[in-house]
Amino acid sequence: MFKKQSLLWLTAITLIAGACNRDEQNVDPTEDNERITTVTLEFTNKAIVSEVITATIDGLSADGTQPNSASATVSLKPNAAYSMRILLSDKTKTPATDISAAIKTEANEHLFVYKPATGLNLTITPNDKDTNPTPGPYPIGLTTDVTTGAASSGKLNVVLRHQPNAKNGTPTPGTSDLDVSFDVVVK
Amino acid sequence: MNNKYNIAFGLLLLSSSLKAQLAPNCTASLQGQIQTGQPNPTSLPGATVFIQSLQRGAVTDSTGYFRLDKLCPGTYTVEYRFVGFNTITEQIHLPLDSVRTVTLTADGVNLPGIDVTEHRSEARQLLQAQTELSGVALDQTRGQSLGESLKNIAGLYSIQTGPGISKPVIHGLYSNRILVLNNGIRQEDQQWGSEHAPQIDQFVASRLTVIKGPASIRYGSDAIGGVILVEPKAMPTKAGVHGEVNAVGATNGRMGVGSAYLEGAFDKKLAGLSYRVQGTLKQAGYARAPGYFLENTGFRERNFSGDLHYDHKKWGAEVYYSQFNNRIGLFRGAQVGSLSDLYAAIARPEPLVQPGFSYELGRPYQNIQHQLIKGRTYYRSERFGELTLTIAQQRNLREEFDLLSFSRAETPELYLKLTTQTADLIWEHPTKRDRFGGIWSGSVGVNALTQGNVRRYLFLIPNYRANALGGFAIERYARDRWVFEGGIRYDIRTLRAYFLDETTNRTFSRSHQWDNANGSLGISYQARPDLTLTTNFSTAWRAPNASDLYANGLHQSGVAYERGNPNLQPEQAYNGNLALAYSGKRLTAEIGVFNNLINNYIYLKPDSVPAIRQRGAFPAYSYNQVQATFRGVDATVSYKLSGQLTLTSKTSLLWAYDKTNRNYLVLVPPNRMDNSVRYDFHEQAVGATPGTVSGLYVQVSGLAVARQNRVPAVSSEVVNGTPVFRGDFAPPPPGYFLLGAEAGLNVSIGKQPMSVILSGANLLNTAYRDYLNRFRYFADEPGRNISLKIKISF
Repeated sequence: MFKKQSLLWLTAITLIAGACNRDEQNVDPTEDNERITTVTLEFTNKAIVSEVITATIDGLSADGTQPNSASATVSLKPNAAYSMRILLSDKTKTPATDISAAIKTEANEHLFVYKPATGLNLTITPNDKDTNPTPGPYPIGLTTDVTTGAASSGKLNVVLRHQPNAKNGTPTPGTSDLDVSFDVVVK
Repeated sequence: MNNKYNIAFGLLLLSSSLKAQLAPNCTASLQGQIQTGQPNPTSLPGATVFIQSLQRGAVTDSTGYFRLDKLCPGTYTVEYRFVGFNTITEQIHLPLDSVRTVTLTADGVNLPGIDVTEHRSEARQLLQAQTELSGVALDQTRGQSLGESLKNIAGLYSIQTGPGISKPVIHGLYSNRILVLNNGIRQEDQQWGSEHAPQIDQFVASRLTVIKGPASIRYGSDAIGGVILVEPKAMPTKAGVHGEVNAVGATNGRMGVGSAYLEGAFDKKLAGLSYRVQGTLKQAGYARAPGYFLENTGFRERNFSGDLHYDHKKWGAEVYYSQFNNRIGLFRGAQVGSLSDLYAAIARPEPLVQPGFSYELGRPYQNIQHQLIKGRTYYRSERFGELTLTIAQQRNLREEFDLLSFSRAETPELYLKLTTQTADLIWEHPTKRDRFGGIWSGSVGVNALTQGNVRRYLFLIPNYRANALGGFAIERYARDRWVFEGGIRYDIRTLRAYFLDETTNRTFSRSHQWDNANGSLGISYQARPDLTLTTNFSTAWRAPNASDLYANGLHQSGVAYERGNPNLQPEQAYNGNLALAYSGKRLTAEIGVFNNLINNYIYLKPDSVPAIRQRGAFPAYSYNQVQATFRGVDATVSYKLSGQLTLTSKTSLLWAYDKTNRNYLVLVPPNRMDNSVRYDFHEQAVGATPGTVSGLYVQVSGLAVARQNRVPAVSSEVVNGTPVFRGDFAPPPPGYFLLGAEAGLNVSIGKQPMSVILSGANLLNTAYRDYLNRFRYFADEPGRNISLKIKISF
C-alpha cells in the first residue's frame, strides 16, 4: 500500500518538475506602443526665412519613474511673426519613430493645445485643418502661426489631446497624450 | 403524512437496530438532509431513507435531517422517498459517502436534470460558516458571471469594473485573499488585479459553496477572506445519455447566452465509465445606463469542458479539461491620460460620448484565456480510508489592449502568461468509533504548487517563479450533540522575480522565502433539533505576491499608477466567528458574526504626489501595510406567513478599520439589505392540465444599499503647481434602492419538461452608482434589465 502511495507521489513530483520550463528567466524588454520621448518646436522667422530656432525636450518619462526634469528654452524676437511646427518622436525604437507623421494620419482625432503663461506676450494660431465632416474641419496644430509682442518671458504649455469620435475644436473632450512646458524668452 | 406508513416504518427501524448490534466493526453512519428543490431548497420532514439490502431505514426529523448508525462499511443502494415526490435511489460507499444532501422533485414533473442526488460538498467536511447556491437558487442566476451570482449570498459583494467584470468580495476581502477552487483545483488567474474577474464558466457549477472566513488549513495559504468552491454535478451512474440546454436572453446589453451539456454512463463491459462534455457561448453589447449607452461595454465568452471518469470497486480515475475564453470591452468613457482628465471626467454628470447600441468590441479591452487540465485518481477501502492524488496544470493568458492614440499597433500593452502546476495528495482515514460512541474522522494531506509568470510589452508585474509546499492535518470528533474540529498546517513559499537592466541588457533576480504555521479550532453544538450553534477560531496567512512586491506601472482601468514595495511582510489573520442556525416550522434563520484581525494587511495607499509622465500628472499608489480589522454580521431570515407566502430578509453589515493610521480603509462594501416576498402557487391553482405546470412562483424583491460613510476623508489641493489628492478622487456615491421581480415555473410541452424563469432587475430604471465599481467616477450603473432563462433537460 505505502509503496503504491510513494510511487504515486514520485510520479507527481517528476511530472511537475518535467512540466516546468524556465521561460520566466528570459526577460523581455519593456515596450510601449505609444511612447513619445522627444518634442521639438521649430520656429522660422517669416521675415528672415533662414532664421530657424529649435528647442527640444528629450527623454520624457512614460511611467513617471524618473522625474520629468527635461525642459528647453526658446528665444524669440519681440514683435515678430514666425511659422512654427511641432515634431514628436519615439527614440526608444530603432530607427526612431516619427510620431508627428502618425498624428497627421490620425488628424481627425487629435488637437494640439498651446497655452502661453500669463505675462508671456505670445499668440499661437494653428494654420492646418483636419478632414472632419461638417461642422468641421477643425484645426490640428502641427503647424502654427506665431506672433510675439513686447519683451517678456514665461512657460509655453503644449498639450496633445486625443479626441476619438469627439473632436469639436475645443480642448475639452478626450484625453492627453502629451503634456509638456517650454521656457520662452521674448527679447 | 401517512400515519400507518410511519408506524410500519418505526417497527422496521426497531428490528433493524437490534440486528445491527450483532454485527461487529460496523461503526459507519449515514446522515444527511432531504430537501425539496422546488421552488427553493426547503427541508422535507417525514421523508424516508431506506437501504434495501439491510432492510434498514430512517425518517427525517423536523429539519429534514436523518441519521443511520452502526452500518458496516461497504457499497449500498439507498432509496429516498416522500409521498408526492419522485423516489430517488443512489449507490453509496460507506464510510466515505457518509453525508448526503438529497433533493426530491414533486411527482408529475419528470426533470432528470434536477432529480439527481448531489454528492456531499467537499466543504461540508469543514466546520466553518458556509453558504451554498445550488438547484433553483443557482438557476435564477444563470447567465450572470460568477462574481455577480454570488452576490445573492449574505456577506458577499463584488468589486466591479464596468458591467463586464465582477470580482467576488467576502466580508470585505478580495483578490488573493480569496481562494477559488474550480473543480477542486486552486484557480490561478492573476487574481491580484482588482479588474481581473475569476475566469470560470458559471454554467460548469451545479453548486457554488462559499466558506466565509479563513479556510487555509485545508485549502492552503492565502485564504484569509474565504474560499469559493465551484463544484460540477456528480457524474451519472446509470447507463444512458442525458443532457441539458440553457438559454438566457437579457434586454440590457441585448445579451444572449447558450449553454449545454451532454453526459452519459456505460454498463456491461464498460461499467464504471462515464463522461460529460459541456460548452457555453455568451455575447453582450453596450450596456445601457438610464439615459445613455455605455460605450464599448460588450463582452464575448466561449467556453467548453470535458470530463471522463472511471470508477471500479476500490479505485477510480478522472481526467478533466476546460477552456475559458473571454473578451471584455472596457468602458471608453473611463479612459483618462492624466489627473486633469480624471477631474474633468468626474465633474461631468454624464459621459461626453454617448453612442447608440452596438455589439462592437474595440480597444480598450481584455482578452483572456484560461485552460485547466486535471487528473485525479483515488483508492478507497474500508480499512484504509481514501487516498486521492490530484495533479493539474493551468495556463492563464491575459492580454490587455489599451486605447490607442496614434500608433495603430496591433500588439497588446500588457501580456501575462501564467503557468501553474499543482499536486495534492490527501488521505482521509477511515472513521473510527470510540467506546463513548463518539466518531473520529479526519484527513492529512500535502499540497504543492509551482508557477511561472512571463510578461511582455509594458511592465506591470515582473517575470517570476513561485513555489509552495504545505502539509496539513484535520481531525474531527463528533459525539452526541457536539462536534469538535481541529486543524494544523505548515507552509513554505518561495518567490524569485526576474528583471532586465535595459542599459546593460542583463537579467537579475530578487528572491524571497517565507514559512508559516497555522491552526484552527471549531465547535458545533446542537442545542435543539432545530437550533445549532457553531463557532470557529482560525489563523491564516498570505505571503506577498509579485504584484504587491514589484508592481510598477500603469493600471489603466484602475486609474492608478501602482508601485510595489519589496519590503512587505506576510499578512497574518486571526479570525473568530459564531454562527447560529435555526430551522423551525415557519421561521428559518442563519445569523453569523465575525471578527477578522489582520496584521500586515497589504493595501494600495494613495501617494500624496502624483507620478509625472509624458501625458501629465497621474494618480500614484504604493503598497503599504497596516493592522486592519474586519468585523460584521450576516443574517438571512426567512418567515413563512402561510404555506404559499414567504418573506426573506438578507442583511450584510461590515465595519473595517485601519488600526495603524486610525482611519477607514478604501473599497469597503457598504451595508446592504435585500428583502423579498415570494408566493408559491398550489399546483391546482394554476388552472392548467394537472401535471403540465408546476412550481409556479412570483417574487418581488428590494435591495437597499447604504452610502459608505466610513471612508478616508477626501480632499485635493494644489501644492507647487501639482494637484495633490488624499483619500479618494471623489466622495462615495449616495445609497440606493433597486426593485426587482421574478416569476418561474416548470412546464411540460408534450413529454418534454422545461423550466422557465422571467426576471427583472432595477425595474424602476434608477440611476445610481456603486461605491465598489471602479468606473463609478464616470458613469451610472446599468438600468432596467429583463431576462428570460429557459432550461430543458433530456
